[in-house]
Amino acid sequence: MNRALYVAKTGLEAQDFRLAAISNNLANANTYGYKAGRAEFNDLLYQNVRQPGAQANQDESSTLPSGLQLGTGVKAIGVQKIHTQGNAMVTDNQLDVMIQGNGFFQVLDQDGNINYTRDGSFQVNQNGDLVTSAGHLVEPNINIPLNSTEVFIASDGTVSAKLPGDPTPAQLGQLQLATFINPAGLDSIGQNYYKESLASGTPNVKAPQTEEAGSLLQGALESSNVNTVEELIGMIEAQRTYEMNSKAIKAADGMMSYLNNNV
Amino acid sequence: MDRMLYISMSGAKEAMYAQANNANNLANANTDGFKQDFNQFRAQHMQGPGWQTRTYSMDERPATDFTPGAVKVTGRNMDVMTPAEGFMAINSPDGKEALTRTASMQVTPEGDLVDINGNPMLNEGGAPINLPPFKDINIGSDGTISVIPADATNNQFVAIDQLRLVKPDTKQLEKDESGFIRYTGDDNLEQGGVKVLSGALETSNVNTAEALVDMIEFSRKYEMQVKMMKTSKEHSQSSDKLLSLN
Repeated sequence: MNRALYVAKTGLEAQDFRLAAISNNLANANTYGYKAGRAEFNDLLYQNVRQPGAQANQDESSTLPSGLQLGTGVKAIGVQKIHTQGNAMVTDNQLDVMIQGNGFFQVLDQDGNINYTRDGSFQVNQNGDLVTSAGHLVEPNINIPLNSTEVFIASDGTVSAKLPGDPTPAQLGQLQLATFINPAGLDSIGQNYYKESLASGTPNVKAPQTEEAGSLLQGALESSNVNTVEELIGMIEAQRTYEMNSKAIKAADGMMSYLNNNV
Repeated sequence: MDRMLYISMSGAKEAMYAQANNANNLANANTDGFKQDFNQFRAQHMQGPGWQTRTYSMDERPATDFTPGAVKVTGRNMDVMTPAEGFMAINSPDGKEALTRTASMQVTPEGDLVDINGNPMLNEGGAPINLPPFKDINIGSDGTISVIPADATNNQFVAIDQLRLVKPDTKQLEKDESGFIRYTGDDNLEQGGVKVLSGALETSNVNTAEALVDMIEFSRKYEMQVKMMKTSKEHSQSSDKLLSLN
């Protein structure tokens, strides 16, 4: 069978994959705490059709100065999450918290496992516990009294509330942040959550404002770090490369059909 | 059987190889750091007793084009590239040094600095690079890696290591079967003299317009060979007819 046909097919698949990664970024251009993913590619193995230095013929002095190694195409090796800081969106909502730094909030899922997120659009559930907008408890648990008039979240994570008749705010607890040596290796599980993976390393839990965790900003959210201009350019590039590869398929097909019709 | 058929078959077969090579270049038109392969045909005379009237064609990959690709600014400070001549060194899975012009670097949980495929980046001494936990990282133009350590009280960068940067003669470079660029010279390459740009990646250097034109050319060449095969078939048919008994 014609090799070029299969090589060009890998090119089509790679660009298709890239377009899927781009559309996911664009779809999440307005998702708080979303981190853009970048499709990464590698060339596939090369096949030795003729080894350089092989005997060209019976004459021993005649060897091939250069052989023929044919590449077998391209492969998508993954979508790399780019963990740069998103812009601050000031919401003035007192339970919105943004991380300025590398840390992640810790959230308990329904099975009690810890997930990590940078989406700090918190709310309060019926018991007064601080939860994410999906209703998952923030770890460590912060309980906000029902009669509190105002909640303060300091840049070091200390949460305090003003209670009626008391001029000094009462301390309720301190938010903690987890950092990873390789955040790009975290497992994205959707709903703005990440899970620890072998590649990310183990979480390092610390109070905000210590080491690389970053500080907190109340009344703001981190917007997605998707650069829409960049994504649109990537989209054009992916589409054009797709077209070129489909031309290569057409050419390979043309060669085969010519052979079939003429010999 | 007329040898003409075999000669044109060789032409058609080698045109198909060339088309595959060209398709590989096109398929990697968006692969960062990919270097396109050249393609050439060579006349291969029939040797041995008999008339030297026949010449087979042979396709080969004489070399790889090491001209730099375009600069793609990504803004991620662990994306690095060498903007002019020169390469960075990585450790390939077989333990030997390979060269690359661009790397989207990552840090493993153990703090090792690796490229996107997990191959360790090498330092000026040819050893893998290990980084302490850090708040921020910066790659200097001479390949110096400096970080603000995670436990630092003041935000001052501390130089940790330097990337291995070499400037080999591109004539002594070759691409191996895994796509790694290898230095084939005997001497050890010297460190330095190469600039590094951080926050950018080098795109593939495939010239797509040229590849598309080549693609048409290979297709047409192939058709010509097939036409010769057809002509040869017609020749044999007519000679068969002349010699037929009825």
